[in-house]
Amino acid sequence: MRHALLGCFGWCAITVLGFAQAPPPGATVNTNGTAGDYKSSTAEGGVDRIFNVNSDSVDMENGTMQWKGTTMNLGNSRAVRARFERYLAAPTDNGDMKRYVALLDQIQLLLSAQSINQENYYRNQQEAFNLLFKAAEFDIDAGSSLTIASQVQKVWIMKQEFRQIEVSKAQLDTLRKVQEGIIINRADNIEAANDARSDGSSKSKPLGKASSGTTELGYKVKDVARTEAEILARNAEMTALGLKAKIEFQSQMVSFLMARRYRHSLITSSFYRVLFKGGSQNIVVGAKEVKEFFPISDFVPTLESFDMLSREAIKDTSKGMQTVDDLVKQGELYGAFERLQETFFLGEFEPVVMSYPQEKKREMLALWKDLRELQRLGDERDLGNVEGYVNKVRGRARDFPGAPILSKVTNAMNASNMSLLSAKGAALAGDTVKAEAALERAAKIWPQNPGVKDFATQVVSRQDTMAQMVPQFDRLFADAKWRDIYNNKVPFGLALAQDKERSAKLLKVIGRIGELDFKIQKASVLFTENNPYLAWDVIVDAYKSESDDLVLAKTRADISSRVGAYSGLIDSAEKLEKDGAEAAALTAWLAAQDLNPPSTICGAAVKRLAKSVAESAVIRATGAVPAPPPAPAADDEVPVPAKK
Amino acid sequence: MSKINPLFFALGIPVVVIVILVAIVAPRMGGGGKFADLTPFSVEKYRNDWSSLQGNSYRLDCQVEQQLAFVEGRGRILAVKPIEKDPTRPAGRIPVFVPAGSADSFEVGQRFKCKLRVTRDLLVVEALERF
Repeated sequence: MRHALLGCFGWCAITVLGFAQAPPPGATVNTNGTAGDYKSSTAEGGVDRIFNVNSDSVDMENGTMQWKGTTMNLGNSRAVRARFERYLAAPTDNGDMKRYVALLDQIQLLLSAQSINQENYYRNQQEAFNLLFKAAEFDIDAGSSLTIASQVQKVWIMKQEFRQIEVSKAQLDTLRKVQEGIIINRADNIEAANDARSDGSSKSKPLGKASSGTTELGYKVKDVARTEAEILARNAEMTALGLKAKIEFQSQMVSFLMARRYRHSLITSSFYRVLFKGGSQNIVVGAKEVKEFFPISDFVPTLESFDMLSREAIKDTSKGMQTVDDLVKQGELYGAFERLQETFFLGEFEPVVMSYPQEKKREMLALWKDLRELQRLGDERDLGNVEGYVNKVRGRARDFPGAPILSKVTNAMNASNMSLLSAKGAALAGDTVKAEAALERAAKIWPQNPGVKDFATQVVSRQDTMAQMVPQFDRLFADAKWRDIYNNKVPFGLALAQDKERSAKLLKVIGRIGELDFKIQKASVLFTENNPYLAWDVIVDAYKSESDDLVLAKTRADISSRVGAYSGLIDSAEKLEKDGAEAAALTAWLAAQDLNPPSTICGAAVKRLAKSVAESAVIRATGAVPAPPPAPAADDEVPVPAKK
Repeated sequence: MSKINPLFFALGIPVVVIVILVAIVAPRMGGGGKFADLTPFSVEKYRNDWSSLQGNSYRLDCQVEQQLAFVEGRGRILAVKPIEKDPTRPAGRIPVFVPAGSADSFEVGQRFKCKLRVTRDLLVVEALERF
């Protein structure tokens, strides 16, 4: 039962929250080291799903989204829900979406391979650069185009610096060559002086400087070394600058992709392709993540890989919104809601998503709120109100699958009621431990089960009731108030359950009054069927043992109005017999039997008295004279019955 | 040939027969018979106050309805129905006790003239005549 219940709530949570599961919007790339990363699914799954749009799904609970077999981490679930709710509640972005999209397309076109060539290389770059500022004027752009422009400008500046360094390096190169020439010259002079000195050594010449210019040569060599070092420093600076620009640009491109700003990612990629040389086209940043989208061994990620992912996402988003529109038109709001949710998290910043009409979003928002409320009811296990909300949601979205929810809710309610019954049974049997466990189980399944509250109240007041009911029962029993006991048989039964002696007495009373009620019912039926004398026989028979019963007395009074003579004869007969006048009693019984021939009590009395009279006839002839019965008054048709 | 007028025979014979019949039936119809000197038994009085009748003897013309009880050596209780002069007011059945000494047989539907004696509340048949 518990599993069924948990399954129910699990379903509610997953189903109801399923729609609610929305990753945080705009979630920019996560900065905590995990956010924004792409977690790979298994290779097989990835291959199977790589081009399967239908495999996309959003997991609100974990704040993740499956897209093309890869799990995208969207952030924590609460932020995810809030982001989606904010999207539904927010007014639609103003502005000319078509113009904005056209601007972005124009930028891409200017930078595309089909447009750019040697002649327009710089002009197209500048034109695309300028368009970025126009695109940034749209609210929907959120300044992303400015970020690209800034990045491009940075590269341009870097290139300028690069050129300056080149110039400086060329100058240093020239200086180095001059310095080398000087050194060579000085070295030649020294060598010539040395040669002359060697030739003159065979002839005597006056002593003088053996060699000159060596010191100068040393300094010149040092100058060359310094110049070369400076050239190397310039080279290193150029390399560092290039690498930095490349990494920064690629990082920005990956950032846009992770932030699901696919169009900006494409533009960044286009600029990169133009700004950097062919040798810098390999991917350094985000290669690992991109590889996970393509679970192929030895896969080499390229700029085109990024572009493909972005274009695929744009296409899926567009298709998703078309599906949403189509479902809304068909009245399948729930399906439309789910598709919108998935599409939102895939392409939150796509113009087609951001420009979704306000009135439709409002409709979705109302459904969203109902679903959240339904989820809350499920979380709180307020099963009694689930049905109402399911019907409310069905009213909004006719395709909402409410039947399984209701089925599981009904099962849970039944399980709770069953546990409650078990608790009651255990309580009546005196098994307190079992009763408590069953009650706890019932309350756990359905905390607001009204039966739980009632039962708890009964349990609490049971001791008080016991204290009151026992003496009350004893008093009524002593006073032979069978009817009063019978009318309170359930409370007495509960209170006396543990008292075997009193329970036995209660059972006897219930049986006694039950039998009496059966006779009363039988008499009433006979009376209704116009058999008043037979009805009276039944009453007379019952009256012998239950003369104090009010219900019997009332029935007797009702019937006696139509059996005055008959009842008078019977009463008279009983009185005479009691007084010892058996023959006179026999006469009265015969007269009664004449009125009601099928009467069994008359037949039995006649038979009994006839035999008695015959046996005692001789003795009676000599006995004392009994007192004759008084003649009944004319207006007293209903004789007073003999006391019990 | 006789000189008696035939008309005499035609009228005389029926008259004689009628006279004879009247002489036989009239006493019976008029309550006469064996117990003609006894007072007719009143069922109504007996039912209302049997004690005032006790010790008295009455005549009862009745028809046997049922034998209620028979005790060897003591007698039997018969339920008899009084034959009333006014059949629109039937008196209903009453029990009578026939002591064991009687040699008569009783069958349902037989009619009797009885001499009853009220002994306490018991109606004892002291003598009877079938009719």
